[in-house]
This record gives sequence, structure tokens and C-alpha cells, in this order.
Amino acid sequence: MRWTLTPADQAPNPRPGQTTYDEAIRRNVMFARLEDLIAWGRKNSIWPFNFGLSCCYVEMATAFTSRFDIARFGSEVIRATPRQADLMVISGTVFRKMAPVVKQLYDQLLEPKWVISMGSCANSGGMYDIYSVVQGADKFLPVDVYVPGCPPRPEALLEGLMMLQESVGKERRPLSWVVGPQGIEKPQPVSRRDLKQPDRVQATELRDPFHLK
Amino acid sequence: MQQPAGVEPIEQALHARFGANSIYRQFTADGIPTFWVERDQLCPVLSFLKEQVPQPYPLLLDLTGVDERTRSHREGLPPSDFTVVYHLLSFQRNEDLRLKLALTGDEPAAPSITGIWPMANWYEREVFDLFGIRFEGHPNLRRIIMPPTWKGHPLRKDHPARATELEPYSLSDDARDFEQDALRFVPEEWGMQRESENSDFLFLNLGPNHPSVHGVFRIALQLDGEEIIDAVPDIGYHHRGAEKMGERQSWHTYIPYTDRVDYLGGSMNNLPYVMAVERLAGIQVPERAQVIRVMISEFYRIASHLLFYGTFAQDVGQMSPIFYMFIDREKVFAIIESFTGARMHSSFFRIGGVALDLPEGWDRLIREFIAYFPARLDEYDRTVMKNKLIQRRTMGVGAYTTGEAIEWGVTGAGLRATGMGWDYRRARPYSGYERFEFDIPTATKGDCYDRCAVRVEEMRQSLRIIEQCVNNMPEGPYKAHHPLTTPPPKERTMHDIETLIQHFVNVSWGPVIPPGEAAMTIEATKGLNSYYLTSDGGTMSYRTRIRTPSFPHLQMIPLMSRGMMVADLIAILASIDFVMADVDR
Repeated sequence: MRWTLTPADQAPNPRPGQTTYDEAIRRNVMFARLEDLIAWGRKNSIWPFNFGLSCCYVEMATAFTSRFDIARFGSEVIRATPRQADLMVISGTVFRKMAPVVKQLYDQLLEPKWVISMGSCANSGGMYDIYSVVQGADKFLPVDVYVPGCPPRPEALLEGLMMLQESVGKERRPLSWVVGPQGIEKPQPVSRRDLKQPDRVQATELRDPFHLK
Repeated sequence: MQQPAGVEPIEQALHARFGANSIYRQFTADGIPTFWVERDQLCPVLSFLKEQVPQPYPLLLDLTGVDERTRSHREGLPPSDFTVVYHLLSFQRNEDLRLKLALTGDEPAAPSITGIWPMANWYEREVFDLFGIRFEGHPNLRRIIMPPTWKGHPLRKDHPARATELEPYSLSDDARDFEQDALRFVPEEWGMQRESENSDFLFLNLGPNHPSVHGVFRIALQLDGEEIIDAVPDIGYHHRGAEKMGERQSWHTYIPYTDRVDYLGGSMNNLPYVMAVERLAGIQVPERAQVIRVMISEFYRIASHLLFYGTFAQDVGQMSPIFYMFIDREKVFAIIESFTGARMHSSFFRIGGVALDLPEGWDRLIREFIAYFPARLDEYDRTVMKNKLIQRRTMGVGAYTTGEAIEWGVTGAGLRATGMGWDYRRARPYSGYERFEFDIPTATKGDCYDRCAVRVEEMRQSLRIIEQCVNNMPEGPYKAHHPLTTPPPKERTMHDIETLIQHFVNVSWGPVIPPGEAAMTIEATKGLNSYYLTSDGGTMSYRTRIRTPSFPHLQMIPLMSRGMMVADLIAILASIDFVMADVDR
């Protein structure tokens, strides 16, 4: 599906008396297949569940504040109940005592729902190979995106979110009971390392620390 | 340690009262008077120390256990399979004291001291949970950290440490329901009635996932309408086994774990750990390293307090402040990042110094921040502290007195808000704090508002300290030239093979710290944070005990919230400034 936004000052304004039928149609009518439109809607309104486990949640919360501004991605609406959210970010360590609670909350999210595993602990247990920590959220949940880091910077979460959006935009789910396969079509994930490696090995200069200001 | 003149040494007082034979002194690397007591004398000695001795020890700083069964260096110590350690603090003497109780057998039992310090309740439950030591006379001895379905006691030496030594984890729907059922709150188990003469009580489960409980923390509330009759905090959802981890990581590689205990305090948490190791190994830290440590610690104090300030305002109903404060927090992080390379967990301190020297031009961002931040704090005063709504919701709410605070082990800003100007940085200066000028902010009423006000003023004081660091940064090495510093000095390794071998062994196995015991306490962001390390002369700690401030603070919630409304409880929680990683470790 193609769509564009036109800045107001550059718009080829239909002037009084010159409005063409084509222009009015182009600006006001959109043709799309229903499943494309729904995928586009889902992609741009992923609402995270207000849920966090430990350190990573602080960076996740930072992503909500103005410097990082998750609102740019349509995901500023953090919901306090799983019934109103469609994304669960497992931000932090998954503890044995907490895992059943996480599972229950995940089960209460309405379909379609997605999971981002944020940080080393949620990905694999991280540095906590210890009796009280589950070695990765994917031991009991389906995970869509893994964000590496301990904790990942807010930008890393935002990139994870963009990857999820991209994948959700390409995802196809049956809209109703129809004859044929009922499964969900998901795009094949691409390793970010493979994708970025060529650029990274090109780097010859480290950034000046003052860029941080 | 400075001790005021004219104080009778505690050893003499104890011997005079209980006889010289029954109390046995142990020498430790930290110089804290440490005594072994007989089992039947434990309670009399503790009440003597708490109430009768001149200049008493009113604060039970810590209570913990040690599994001694596999320890090899126990020269001169009484036989013991399990030891219970009581750590007391006297404000008047400005001195600590440690009592130890030896227990034998696989099912050890000790007398409960909840009759002397009610706050020992949680500590004894923790020792029971993690070591399987029973406390006779405890009012409700049940697991506190591990799930109720857990088998075994994790801090025992024979309990597996790694998750990968256990069965692979899985969670079927049935297992989920089973675990959830086990966590269900049963009022009768806590001696609660379901109804009174006039009303049926409502039991409200708040957490472990709720926006206003600041992490994975749960409180079961007994309500009469909106009024809180009683509250039962339930912790343990954030237990990362940090203490057990210390028994398996080398002295050096344990440093990153300390960052993540109180994950808002970052590298400040490295400080008590590395200083305790330095005490054990007898390492002198160069002045420049000390000042760098102080500077970074104070930045983390500001970052932590800013987050507290913002969430406090948010919990009481303000939306904007937290957004502004996070921008300031980002500025603090930018500074920290510019010389440590990381934001939250920089793990920047090393045994014997810090990881790196300061980069060229390191002071530029800091000077800009010093010029920028005070005006922002003034603005927050106008938006938050002077806001009538905030004042109405927090003044007179959740108040306690200095006496109650000490009785319940409250330290840090929560203690200073009651009018007691006691700050570890001033009382027992460490890392060169005695050379800095700063005030110790206090307030008088000990309510939610005052706890916030104290922290706000502390940020200004931290800024003062940082300014002095920037203006007076000493020259010199950033790490001690001691063979046990980590990583050890590299320079001479290319000149003689002996040093190269030493360096290789020290980097691969890690340093061997001489056997002994040492504790070190600091004034962390939330109160007193203390590491009590036992070395058995190996490359790993034999026992790492972490005393964190938030643990006793949460125990006080029922006391603070009885008779209040649910909305007040939220303000109280916000004002405590706890982090669950700091509670459950």
C-alpha cells in the first residue's frame, strides 16, 4: 500500500475554480486491500503493556520520555491492563517466582499480540545463570524481537520496535473463517548483524564524546 | 575508625556483664568488634547492647547467615556448621559491632530475636528461606524470597547455584496455575479476620505488576472500604541470587553484579564491594581514584534522586515533572557515558582504583551541568514542592519518628527526614569524603513530603561535591600499584617473566584475596548499603552478604499505612524510594 504526506506549503493546492476531479480523488480516496489496510493500522498503533521487571524497564521508561519519544512510532499509549495492549516488552530479568505471573499476563493480552524481549536477561538469562532466574523469556513465551544489551539503550528498544512494526506490517492473518490455510504468515526475520556488518566494518572513526550533549 | 573519646570499649562492658569466658572475640580485617556468643546468652547480650549498655547500639544493621561447612580457613574460631551473624550499629559510639552464633547439625535452630527488634522478622525469614535455619519463637516463619513451592535452601553450599544445573525450565498451563495458586494470599495464614463486627473486609491484591509499586512487588491489603486495616508486603519476585553469585565469580568479575543491586545507583554500588575487598587485601587507593569514585557516585546519586523525584510527583498525580527530570537524567548519563562508556551500569570501579583515567577535556560537560542544574531544581521546587495538591497529599502522610525509624532499620533520607542529621559520609568518611564541604539536609516531620524535600536538597549538595571534585582533581595514578589490584599493573610485565606470570594468573584466575572477613558500608542513594565479605583464601568470595537499605524500608509499610486510604499508600510507596533489585538482591 502506498501513501504519502505532503507538507502544507508544498501542496499543489487546488485553487478556486481549478480543482480537478482527479486531484480531489487522489487526495481523499485510498484504494487498498482490506488485509493491507489492517496490517498498516496494526503496524502503526502498537500499544505496549505497562509492564517491566528490572533495570531494562528504566531504559524502556526512558524511551517514553521526550528525548527519545516513543510517540513518534504510535506507541505512546502504554496501557495498564493487558486487555488493552498488544505488545509486551519483557524488559528485565525473568525470575522463577515471577514467570507464572508473566505468563498469566501474556495470556490475558488479546490477539494479535507480540513480545519484545529486551535485554540480555530476557533474551537468555544474561549474566544471571542462577537458580532463581529463567534462562530467557522464550522458555515459556513466543518472542518476536530480541533486543541485545545490558541494559539496551532506549534507541535500541526503539529500533526493536521499528523491526517489529516492519514485521507486523508484512504479517498476514486470516480476517475471518475462510476456506484455505488458517495460519499466520510472518516474514522471515533477518539477522541484524548480517545486515549491518558491512557498514560497521567500514567505520574508521569513533564519535566524539561531546556528540552526547 | 574514629571513636569519640571517653567511651568504654564494648569488650570490657560485655565481659563485665557476662563474664570473660562466655564471649569470645574474633579479629577481622575491618576492625569491627566481633564476638561469638553462647546460644542461651544471645538474647540477653542483644538486649543488653540495645538498651542497657551506656551509649547503646539501637540499630540492627543486618542479620544474616553463613554456611560454614566447606570453609577451610577457620583457625581459632569455635566449631560451627551454620553461623548467624548480627550486625549492630551505635550512633553515639559511632561504632559497629558484630555478634555471631554458632549452630551445628543439618537442621539448625536459633532463638528468634523478634522480641528485641520486631524488624528482625523479615531478616530471620530470609535466613530461614535461604539457609534453612529455623528461628524458635518467630511469629510467622515462612519463605520470603523464594516461591513457596521451592525445594531446598539456595544459599546452602550443597544447593545448585546455576540455573543450568537444574532441570530445564518450562511452564505449562497447569504449572502456571499451580504456581499462581501457591502465591494466592490467604488472610488466615497471617492471622487476619475476614470480617469485623460491622463490616466484611476486602482483600486487595496490589502487584506484583502494578504501575505504582515500582517494580515487581506485591502488597496484599486488608481494606475496610477505602481504609487500610493492614498490609502484607510480599517480596522475592526480583531475587537474582546476587549473594550466591558472589561465591562463584572471581573477586574482579563480581563487580558488574554489584552495579545491578540497586540498578538506579549504578557504579555507586561498586564502592562498598571494592572497598571491602581492599580492606581484606590491604590495598591503599590513590587519591585521584578516590576523587573520581566520589564524583561518579554523586552523579549517580543525582540520577537516582531525579528518578525518585519524578516518579514521586507522578504517583501523586503530576504528569509533567518526570518528563523534565528525565531530560536532566539524560544529561547526567551523557556525562557518565563520556568517561565510563556506559549509562546505567558502568561498573567503573576496580579493586584498587577505577577502570580508566579521565579522558581529555572531561570537565567540560560537568561544568556546563553545574551551571545548568540549580536553576532546573528551583523550577521543580515551584512545580512540585510548592504545589498545593502535592502538599495536601503528602504532608502528614506516612509519618514516623526518629525512634521508630531506628527501631525499624530505616537509614538514608528516610531517617534524615525525621530530624536526625546522620549521614555515613560525614559520620565515618570513606573514599576521602572528609575533605569535602557539604551539608546534611534534614527535615522535621518524617512524612512523605519531608522525605522528598530531603532528597531534593541532597541533589544540591551532591552538585556541590561534584564541583569541588572538578576544581580540585588531584594528579596521580588512577589505580593502586598493588599486586592484587584488578587488573594488575601491566607496565613491568614485558621486562621480567615473573611479573608476566603473575599478571597472567591474576587476569585469568583472578587475584587470591587473603583469608579473613571484612565489611564496608556506604551512604548509598537509598540508605546504608553494606558488603560483608568472607574470603577463604581463594579466587572467589566464600560468602558475600549484601545489606541493602530498601529491604528494611519495605518492612515498615504496614506500620506506615495502617488507617490510611489506598491513595495514601501510593504516596507512601513513592516516598520510600525503593528499588526491588535492592530489596531482593
